[in-house]
Amino acid sequence: MKTKKYIYTKITFFLGLILLTASSCDREISDEAVLATFSSTADVFIDSPVGLGSNFYFPYGGSKPTAWSVDEKEAYEGTASMRFDVPNGDDPNGNFAGAIFRIDGAGRDLSNYDALTFWVKASQGVTIGEFGFGEDFLENKYVATIQNTSVGTSWQKVIIPIPDASRLTQERGLFRYSAGTQGTNGSGYTFWVDELKFEKLGTIAQPRPQIIDGTEKSEQTFIGGVITLDGLNQIFNLGDGTEQKVTVAPNYFNFTSSSPSVATVDEKGKITVTGAGTTDITAQLNGLDAQGKYTLESLGDFTPAPTPTQNAANVISVFSDAYTNIAVDHYNGYWGGSTTQGQNDININGNEIINYKALNYVGVEFHINVPTVNASSMTNFHIDIQVQEDIGPGDFIRIGLQDIGADDTFGGGDDSNGSISIGGSNLTKGSWVSFDFKLSDFNGLANKANLGQIVLVTDATIQDVLVDNMYFYEIPTAPSVAAPTPTLPASDVISIFSDAYTNVAGTNLNPGWGQATVVTQETIAGNNTLKYTGLNYQGIEIGSAQDVTGMTHLHIDYFTTNSTSLNAFLISTGPVEKAKALAVPTNSGWVSLEIPLADFSPVNLADIIQMKFDGNGTIFLDNIYFHK
Amino acid sequence: MNFINKNKSKLRLSIFAFAIILFSNCENGETQTVTTKSELVWADEFETDGAPDSNKWTFDIGDGTAQGIPGWGNNELQYYSDRPENIVVKNGMLHITANRETFMGSNYTSAKILTKGLYGTKYGRFEARIKLPWGKGLWPAFWMLGDDSNGTVTWPNIGEIDIMEYRGQQPTITHGSVHGPGYSGATPITKSYELTNDRFDTDFHIFGIEWGENYINYYVDDVLYNQITPADLPEGANWVFNSNQFYIILNMAVGGNFLENPGSNTVFPQTMIVDYVRVYK
Repeated sequence: MKTKKYIYTKITFFLGLILLTASSCDREISDEAVLATFSSTADVFIDSPVGLGSNFYFPYGGSKPTAWSVDEKEAYEGTASMRFDVPNGDDPNGNFAGAIFRIDGAGRDLSNYDALTFWVKASQGVTIGEFGFGEDFLENKYVATIQNTSVGTSWQKVIIPIPDASRLTQERGLFRYSAGTQGTNGSGYTFWVDELKFEKLGTIAQPRPQIIDGTEKSEQTFIGGVITLDGLNQIFNLGDGTEQKVTVAPNYFNFTSSSPSVATVDEKGKITVTGAGTTDITAQLNGLDAQGKYTLESLGDFTPAPTPTQNAANVISVFSDAYTNIAVDHYNGYWGGSTTQGQNDININGNEIINYKALNYVGVEFHINVPTVNASSMTNFHIDIQVQEDIGPGDFIRIGLQDIGADDTFGGGDDSNGSISIGGSNLTKGSWVSFDFKLSDFNGLANKANLGQIVLVTDATIQDVLVDNMYFYEIPTAPSVAAPTPTLPASDVISIFSDAYTNVAGTNLNPGWGQATVVTQETIAGNNTLKYTGLNYQGIEIGSAQDVTGMTHLHIDYFTTNSTSLNAFLISTGPVEKAKALAVPTNSGWVSLEIPLADFSPVNLADIIQMKFDGNGTIFLDNIYFHK
Repeated sequence: MNFINKNKSKLRLSIFAFAIILFSNCENGETQTVTTKSELVWADEFETDGAPDSNKWTFDIGDGTAQGIPGWGNNELQYYSDRPENIVVKNGMLHITANRETFMGSNYTSAKILTKGLYGTKYGRFEARIKLPWGKGLWPAFWMLGDDSNGTVTWPNIGEIDIMEYRGQQPTITHGSVHGPGYSGATPITKSYELTNDRFDTDFHIFGIEWGENYINYYVDDVLYNQITPADLPEGANWVFNSNQFYIILNMAVGGNFLENPGSNTVFPQTMIVDYVRVYK
């Protein structure tokens, strides 16, 4: 045999001759047939693996790695077959069987074959999820898979048509499979595969490629949008008349955009939107037009929703690129009676957004196959909404939250829910509007430890909306981080209260002016901070009169989550005082404020003797200084 | 042998395919004498674009009701029309096309042409080069019926010779049959022929018979696959193929007793393409 091999490789017509022989009677010669470039060996497993090398079996993550073996007691032909022991669904070592068979070495030239074929039988009648080839855990360029093969208890032949064999000139991924127990109530079973090989059957015909499962689909998006085409198949008619659908990797297709200035498509079927306008995405496979068309309307530039500013430590995010999201069941439950289309299917420059269309009501759910949300420590819910259509005065979007109670299931008498309605006048067509609701304002929501749904209801008054940044968050009553450390040189600063500078000596931070305010100093993240509890008013007597005419600004860092009114005053002898209103509350953490000293006119800046705050709530202050 | 087109196509094949052909011949064991009659006496080469040549062909129109056999006697689903969307000559070929459409009360349309009243003969070699359609429920045929002596003799006594019948759901198999008194309908004298590593819907194949006194030989391409003689008939049945003149029929039925009806995934339109029909003595 060996001698024969080396002689034959020098003969020009060797390939044709050997294939002729191989397809007729003598299997062994083809096993040995190795061309100078890439092997066109047909056999993958006959009575043992053929030409796969030593390290060829690569299980899928989560599958039982020991599922595959060679069984010398079962064979369709010859002496052995491949045995696959599909584990029970609760097997701790992997709850399904699945792997690729990748040549440990150079790939094969399969361009003269039209199918991967094998014989299979199982220990019981089962439906096996996937059989295929072309997966190599490298680029996975030419994966082709048949789904849901019905396998009985006697040997039957399976044919996996090759979508376009001319692509397979050095293929390493010769076989792949995935088999679970979804159809057997979790009970494991065994199946055997024998005579696994590539063949030129000549009876596979009528190839019909498809994109989007042969349908026509239209969507709106924006510049920067990225869409990946799916539903890539090719249907063949087999020699026995069977219609066989093959799920096909995008690399088999050539994609075309009718307006490349609007969007381009790469070889992976990834569409990138680059301009405004409309384009049709179509495809060909091996010269045949694929059924199906994706029409994309780009609305032009996209303005993302404001980037959330809550500290991630205080957030439970359902849908935001700014945070790690919880696992959800879906962003659209397609509930009965709901007309709503769309889910998390728009991706603009890496920013996922939801576009709900034909919205009447829709549910985001996280309780079916994923844990509910324990929002016990959360205080607020945030959502960004951009309406894409004209808004009438009676239009509304009602945001509902559903808690399913301590029993962690619907019913049982412990469910509760509440909702808040946003009127049309609070929404703007074509612009993002951010909403921050207190959870306590969701009347009726008795519990928040087992939240399972966010529901949007418009009763079709508003039907086309973009949604982003749905998250629960906690507004802590005290800052968790220190105020930003000042960076100005001390020579440019007159400091009243800061760890970063030498403060004016002799300053009294709590003079007795008859105030109710309780003044304390707290160390927050190692930084001394001034805290006013129960503010009504509060003075600061500066240790000596300060001439700040050489300065330009008063700097104040402040933090409050519950104040609704806060003013800062400078006072000069007279007294002459002037208030400056500070925006409250500071929901997003410390606010660093630079107040131009001119704002305090007519206070005499050459003679600043006191400061004062008035308002309400609990206020944290730090880094009070004049600077230039 | 006179396989002009066959030889032409061979020239286009690679040496590899040539080797396969040699091999498959070899597998059959012996060299066959497939045909013996070579004097061309009638032909339609379908060289003139448009409707079929009215000097050679006539139409059957309708769903069979007007002929007294609704569903053409087989529960067929099509309405036969002579519209170009059902039958046309173009590019040197006859195209008979079955469409899924509502027309004259039927859900499918197709076409059927006959040489009845225009050409008929006894004995000879009848062959056609055809590319067949595919899909469940498609039933194309190339066949012949015996003259009915102005309606005085009825089927199956007139005799029927089916040179090619094909089920779209079995794209590798053709059937050759005769029907006569005592061997008609579901019990004809028949044999199937299956292609190896090939199918009937991806390229043209030659379907033919050579018919003489007390025999009908069936062939596909260069393979003689059956001979039917009076000895094959049921005990006491009459051989009705030695006296009558027969005319030629080309049609494509949709659904019916011979096969299943089309399914929702049967692809329409489907076309049977005929390169030529020839009769030799």
